[in-house]
Amino acid sequence: MENSKPRLVEKQLRTVEKRLVNILTNAGYLKGRSRKFSEITAYIYIHQEVTQKILRKLTGYSLGTISTALQILEKQGVVNKYLDPSTREYHYELDGTISQTLFRSLRDTQRYLSQIKEFFRGIEAKLSQPGLSKKKGYENIRQFLGELSALIPAYEQVFQRFQTFVSDVNPKQEV
Amino acid sequence: MAPNKTSQDLHGFDPEIRQIEQEIVEFFAEKSLEFIGRHPIIATVLTYFDIRRRLTQQDLQNLTGFSAGTISRSVRQLVDMNVITKETIPGTHKHIYRMEKLPFTSARYIFRAEKLFEEMETELKEMKDMLHTHAEEMKDLKGYQKTYTTITKLLELISTMPTFIALIDEEIGKFTKENK
Repeated sequence: MENSKPRLVEKQLRTVEKRLVNILTNAGYLKGRSRKFSEITAYIYIHQEVTQKILRKLTGYSLGTISTALQILEKQGVVNKYLDPSTREYHYELDGTISQTLFRSLRDTQRYLSQIKEFFRGIEAKLSQPGLSKKKGYENIRQFLGELSALIPAYEQVFQRFQTFVSDVNPKQEV
Repeated sequence: MAPNKTSQDLHGFDPEIRQIEQEIVEFFAEKSLEFIGRHPIIATVLTYFDIRRRLTQQDLQNLTGFSAGTISRSVRQLVDMNVITKETIPGTHKHIYRMEKLPFTSARYIFRAEKLFEEMETELKEMKDMLHTHAEEMKDLKGYQKTYTTITKLLELISTMPTFIALIDEEIGKFTKENK
């Protein structure tokens, strides 16, 4: 009986951690990420430093799934990888705090918008080939390009103004 | 499985246009993963909706070459993301999925995001209160501090979201007016 209260408290803490993982996983899913990728990311946000084995224990996913997710996160600059010489195991640590990571993703979105603009210039050149404008499907592509091209400056304004707002509110945020 | 290139296009798209469309789809599948972590299958299906706006699951199977199960999961996720809606084709039991507007130009999409942040904030506050209440008993347990810190940081982030949504409303509103 004496041990039942600490055990209950421990259980309550694990429940909170699981709820937090679910919230973050759901947020990732609603951005178009896979549930597995989002869950792995959620655990990294909370634990800040993990190994593949720890993630396997926490999520139950295969090492292949975990490895693929970590490669993507490393490429995005979300995690840094280093080798622990004593265990010969790779550790993956969150680059900065969760806030810094999420705000950094705003900058990535701006880079993404630049690449879309550049890509669209190439598509525009292809669409301007003689005779193409009368072909079926041309209007669909044209409409999509037109709408998104017009929207990109609006998106850029949103991200720029939001970064200014966050910097003003919290100068230490390192947006 | 590769997209069906030999049979006639379901919307009658010219082969040259279809090739350009595929180039666009491939670009978004690759870049969405690289920059925003969006799954390539979701990005692929989403881009077809961006271009064609109304599609059945069978149409998507033909266009992408993905299996019926993959397409079914993808459209469910896009419905959950509030970027497409599901409708029944009159006189049949078949469904068609429709993208009314590009995401972020749609008030429905923005409203959903606002509601989602409110729900997240309520739940996170409740969790933080719980951790506060039991701080004495929990503070030395493994993971307490990290969980508490993550919740606190997330609440800070969420507090900036009304400004973010207001900016979207304002800037995209200008775009919508200009395009009327």
